[in-house]
Amino acid sequence: MSKQRVSRRQFLSYTLTGVGGFMAAGMLMPMVRFAVDPVLKADEGGDFIATKQKVADITDEPVRVDFTFKQKDAWYESEVTNTAWVYKDDAGKIVALSPTCKHLGCTVNWNTDKEHPGQFFCPCHYGRYEKNGQNIAGTPPLAPLDVYPFKEKDGFLYLGKAKPRKEA
Amino acid sequence: MKWTPQDIETYLNAKEYVDTAVIPLFSVSMGDDMKQSAAALEFINLLTGYLERQFTGRLILFPPFTYLNSKNEEVILSDLKDWEASLVKEEIHHIFYITSDIDWRDREKDLNGTLIWLPAIPLEHMNDSQKVAIIDSQVKQLLGLFTQKWHESE
Repeated sequence: MSKQRVSRRQFLSYTLTGVGGFMAAGMLMPMVRFAVDPVLKADEGGDFIATKQKVADITDEPVRVDFTFKQKDAWYESEVTNTAWVYKDDAGKIVALSPTCKHLGCTVNWNTDKEHPGQFFCPCHYGRYEKNGQNIAGTPPLAPLDVYPFKEKDGFLYLGKAKPRKEA
Repeated sequence: MKWTPQDIETYLNAKEYVDTAVIPLFSVSMGDDMKQSAAALEFINLLTGYLERQFTGRLILFPPFTYLNSKNEEVILSDLKDWEASLVKEEIHHIFYITSDIDWRDREKDLNGTLIWLPAIPLEHMNDSQKVAIIDSQVKQLLGLFTQKWHESE
């Protein structure tokens, strides 16, 4: 037994401070967590997904690049395969275009319309786009194709989330 | 367009551009054929899903027309003809049926729509990239059929 006896009053005040401290912390912690939550949230556009396309193999002819990622739809998680048309423009810069037609969302293909070679073509309503993705006036689409942001890592192409671009 | 509220809303706003329906036909069997029936469902589901992605803006992928295999053939056929009639009323003139059930080949002549019969490829033991490659090559062959039908009607 220690020499210093703890009085009943002291013992009660210690335990009450201790318990009270835990209770206060229990209330404050979630509040703080909620307050800083937007800061901790990952930037949604920041996810880059690896493709099998080697950057060195990209030419000035658009090629189809498929990439797969997991998508959560309510509680159902599924693998989604997206496609991009990738090529190098005249300046040697890589361009990755979304194949989704800006009209009603069909998949556009490169160079499949015999009458208009060297263009992206939508088979649904005969929409056409220039090689740079610019929609051709007089065809149904009203906006240019979306562009994927891209990154190069270990020689492979990584693609982000397709973004609509401003009217050129 | 898929049979989801968002896609259907797009359809209602852009009706004049959509003139095609894709209806999967599924036979449900019990007993020994049960597994085969399930394999056909997986195959047709993936295939029609991929097809829908190619032609989102011009076709609606309907919920599958499902029937019990043992049911009277006449009844199945007349049910489907009811679907057909209501689609034509909605200005949907191109109807494609996609199925793995061989019995439809005999009933094809009674249908106005185009029947696409494909033998089901068992996908259960494949990994995802193999599945995608197979479905991709199958759908590529179908794309021509669709564009051809659209060209004919113009």
